[in-house]
Amino acid sequence: MKSSHSKLSRRNFLLAVGAGGAAATAALVAKAPPTQIKKKEAVSGSKGYHLTEHIRKYYSTTKV
Amino acid sequence: MARMKFLADAERCIECNGCVVACKQEHDVPWGVNRRRVVTLNDGVPGEKSISVACMHCSDAPCKAVCPVDCIYTTSEGVVLHDKDLCIGCGYCFYACPFGAPQFPQDGAFGLRGKMDKCTFCAGGPEPDFSEAEFRKYGRNRLAEGKLPACAEMCSTKALLGGDADVIADIYRDRVLKRGKGAEVWGWGTAYGRPEKKPAAQPGAKS
Repeated sequence: MKSSHSKLSRRNFLLAVGAGGAAATAALVAKAPPTQIKKKEAVSGSKGYHLTEHIRKYYSTTKV
Repeated sequence: MARMKFLADAERCIECNGCVVACKQEHDVPWGVNRRRVVTLNDGVPGEKSISVACMHCSDAPCKAVCPVDCIYTTSEGVVLHDKDLCIGCGYCFYACPFGAPQFPQDGAFGLRGKMDKCTFCAGGPEPDFSEAEFRKYGRNRLAEGKLPACAEMCSTKALLGGDADVIADIYRDRVLKRGKGAEVWGWGTAYGRPEKKPAAQPGAKS
């Protein structure tokens, strides 16, 4: 009788640990920002194409 | 907003491969990867034509449509770029691309295929402009420097045009109208309308 009681408490302990771990993982996943969206925001801040004197000169050389 | 495009003028290309060298040198492209190459049609036959080919930065890019990890994206200027941190090197983009633009470094044993590499229109990647990570993964960001792709700027005969689509389309149309040939290409009528037929020059007359 004594041995069955100790088995039961160990099960409860393992169940509690498992549930706690699952809850912690779910919380972390929900909190983490999607990396892809973060990367694409960096692109929108990029300077990109802008008409400079250098580019105007290039366009003029192509008309020869 | 300007839309970036390349245009290869087959009448002017002399197959010097200057564009290929310029690209490799500018971006420190690894051995075995060619972001740009010159293709010659009817090689060795009189009247052969050469064109410089790389990523054409398609408006409706098939590589982007097939990428399973969605690492290919189009910037607001129409440049098709990719994120090497997301790329899994599956090679779907290579099969989807009609120009053979996506390249894969194969420097390991057992046919190891690394991250996809392709022409960036000298616009870098998703990393911050001019950062070390951007150069290492994608090469120089000339667009942010106020320049155009090195291949187009380096082209000695200006056969390879690169830049704002509206501007280079006008340049090409002027060339075609001046030399009187080239308007028979597919899509010309849709883009510019049918050119006027000029009467044939009289023999001995100065043009």
